[in-house]
Amino acid sequence: MVFTSAINLIRAKGPDEFWRKRRIFKLAAHFVGRKRNCYSIAVRYVHRALAYATKGRKLKKMDMRSLWETRVTAGCNQHNMEYGTFRESLVRSDILLNRKTLADLAIWEPHTFKSLTDIAKRRAIDDGLVCLNNKEEPVDRIITRGTLANKS
Amino acid sequence: MSALKRVQQWATFARIWHIYDAAWQNPFQSAELIKRYLMGLHKPIYHPMNDCGDNVIVINSSEIALRGDEWKKRSYFHHTGYPGGATWTLAWDLHSKDPTMVLKKAIYNSMDGNLQRRYTMERLFIFPDANVPSKLLGNVSNQIRQLRPVPKRLDHYTEDEVQTCPKIIDYPTDYVVR
Repeated sequence: MVFTSAINLIRAKGPDEFWRKRRIFKLAAHFVGRKRNCYSIAVRYVHRALAYATKGRKLKKMDMRSLWETRVTAGCNQHNMEYGTFRESLVRSDILLNRKTLADLAIWEPHTFKSLTDIAKRRAIDDGLVCLNNKEEPVDRIITRGTLANKS
Repeated sequence: MSALKRVQQWATFARIWHIYDAAWQNPFQSAELIKRYLMGLHKPIYHPMNDCGDNVIVINSSEIALRGDEWKKRSYFHHTGYPGGATWTLAWDLHSKDPTMVLKKAIYNSMDGNLQRRYTMERLFIFPDANVPSKLLGNVSNQIRQLRPVPKRLDHYTEDEVQTCPKIIDYPTDYVVR
């Protein structure tokens, strides 16, 4: 867009002063002290809060992700497995579950989670991933092409 | 809430007592392991705001093993707060003063410094030998597996085992065995 007259370069004043301040005060309503009552102080803290909110949207996702990883690691360690081996083996078995689902399964469906670790262990043994903590543990109830090929 | 669900709830959130034998273990690697049990990181229900950590009893802390010459090189700093009050104590010196301190500091330092850390440490009980009060020992329901096998010293073998062990070489007749 090309401005042909200087009139468009004047900054728009916006709405009436009352409504402008009211918009800031509404955002500052839950602050404590002069931050919520005095406009010149409130507007600074509102701008800071909005900046934190912008950063927080990303941080929240990262925090949840690390929490799920901690929980799934705990679930794996109960069955003598490393987190990395577990995820890699699941991907190789075409079980594409994300961290959130795995963490929920570890908490609410421990038997389902155990069968997932059994599948992952069988896959890790078949593919020769050397990261298993306890190699002697029997995982015979999982049948894969690898086990069938070995038996025949 | 049904009786089953109620018991399930208790079983999920109950604090369990673990025991760990620190004999011949690296205290700093052991700290990472014990920390997981103290903070509840070994449970899938873990959350930083969720107080789900367990109690841990550590025995034989006087028999921990530091690698290399760390007994002589590792120093522990303390400051009394007064001018000139700084002291640096070597690990062997600290261990001779209090045989639980090296392990305790290792576990304390392995955790993040937050308000919960001191309360988490209160759930840790370290004993320099195997003499644990029966009041504590009665609670124990799990043993944490040691990180490395305890080596057996030559003087712990019986005379028969030493004699029957197959010899690889004969010492020369003029060799002085010290």
